[in-house]
Amino acid sequence: MSTLSELSKAVETGKRNDAKQLTQALLEQGLKPLEVVEQGLVPGMSAIGEKFKNNEVFVPEMLIAARAMKECMAILEPLLADAGIKPKYTAVIGTVQGDLHDIGKNLVAMMLKGANFGIVDLGTNVPPEKFVDSAREHGARLVCLSALLTTTMPAMKTTVQAVRDAGLSSVKIMVGGAPVTQDFCNEIGADGYSQDAASAVDLALQLAEAC
Amino acid sequence: MDRSFYLDLAAAGLRMPIGTHLVLHEHADHGEIVLDGNRLGDVVAETADRFNTPLAVPLMDLKLEKEALLNSYGIPEADIESFHFEEPPAADPAFNLTPRMRATCDAISQVAKKPGLVPMGMGIGPFSLMTKLVSDPITPVFLAGTGLTAEDEPEVALIERAIEVGTKIILDYFTAQIDAGAQAMIVCEPAANLVYFSPNQLENSFEIFDRYVTGPMRRVKALLDARGVDLVFHDCGELTDSMVERFASLDAAMISFGCSRQLWEDAALVPKSTVLYGNLPTKNFLSSQLTVTEVERLAKNLLENMRATGHPFILGSECDVLSVPGSEREILAKVDAFMNLSR
Repeated sequence: MSTLSELSKAVETGKRNDAKQLTQALLEQGLKPLEVVEQGLVPGMSAIGEKFKNNEVFVPEMLIAARAMKECMAILEPLLADAGIKPKYTAVIGTVQGDLHDIGKNLVAMMLKGANFGIVDLGTNVPPEKFVDSAREHGARLVCLSALLTTTMPAMKTTVQAVRDAGLSSVKIMVGGAPVTQDFCNEIGADGYSQDAASAVDLALQLAEAC
Repeated sequence: MDRSFYLDLAAAGLRMPIGTHLVLHEHADHGEIVLDGNRLGDVVAETADRFNTPLAVPLMDLKLEKEALLNSYGIPEADIESFHFEEPPAADPAFNLTPRMRATCDAISQVAKKPGLVPMGMGIGPFSLMTKLVSDPITPVFLAGTGLTAEDEPEVALIERAIEVGTKIILDYFTAQIDAGAQAMIVCEPAANLVYFSPNQLENSFEIFDRYVTGPMRRVKALLDARGVDLVFHDCGELTDSMVERFASLDAAMISFGCSRQLWEDAALVPKSTVLYGNLPTKNFLSSQLTVTEVERLAKNLLENMRATGHPFILGSECDVLSVPGSEREILAKVDAFMNLSR
């Protein structure tokens, strides 16, 4: 008989085939899809996230775990939708205009998904108005901005301003990316900065619940 | 060139940023200049003159090789930036200089006419180019590190072929720059770092790093050696000591690392025949939170620590110093701060 802790371990160690088989088996054993997500997948991603924060594992291990989780979610998402279960919070995420880098952004998106956020991934090179429109359309609680280049950091400022100007008062904005710092976050008036993808989950939960 | 040239520059206390982007963007028509080799060469020379260095560093633009490669596969111009291969390209790419590459080569020839300057070429390294060619370069590198081969895993086959075709384009482009007169080649491998390679995996074996980074770089080095051109190796990514040792084994004339490295500690890992260059945190120069006084303190600290090692060293930037619209004065003030710091 398969167990949720085995699933967590399979996700944590990035064993995607095992994780898919365990997900399927747990559903056949009668577990509800949400239980599989919350008690199987999420603890697996949290465990790898903790290790990442403590420098025990690195981005490649995180990505492998995220990939295992993604493939399990592909099985679970239609079932969750059929049961009318929606994530508690929605986050709109993208790399700001002029910047085509997406590794960090993808990692954060997967980590947030692992923490049961609904994710609207706008991709890279996203203009400010697209963040605004999407946040409004999806009733997002969070807008997450990523930038890798110094030259595109000003686009973060422009995007923060656009969200503020749009009057989306219940939306919190978090920023991240290699050249971004807490000081820069304060300077441009964003609500939070996270240094890495694992910390981004804690910050996102904190900001979402503070709304 | 004789290696003593670089060692003498270091001994003479040369300091310089990688500053061509800064100077270029002082020209209102910089968008036109980058396509005009003679004028671009003049800007490179102007930059060298401004920062009082004989090293004529080209404009850093690590997108050129991807553009040339995808041109050869008929990818439409508008799709090139965001294009990723989904399957290994079957045919070998045919190399043709793009207009920007042509201008870079012409700029090198223009610089070569100016006395007292060392014309330098520049380009991306094979591994970093590969990371631009596929949507997820990290997972297959990790999978390959677990022992999966191209036969086992299509993603591994994809990155291996991407490195192969990328290396061909790089070697062709470097050859064109050398033909244009480059006497040294700055090869940038910023993606060869611990985001792409897990130190946990490398602890067991460096085979995967050698296969994807050091091996292709040795092919580049062989070309440079055959043409009598010096290697200047640049990697501003986050590195482990073992990665630094691998790069040190390339026998570069100069090595430039990002500010995550303590260069005075790296001095013990790099032979004294290789000048260390860098590595002030220039990516943060646009932030007003990093003050001129702090930059001066960091520069002084770096100089003192490097002096104590006795390792040949040139004080400079961690990467190219980009001109950010609206922050030009902020950035320049900090460049001036370390350039003008009393010796």
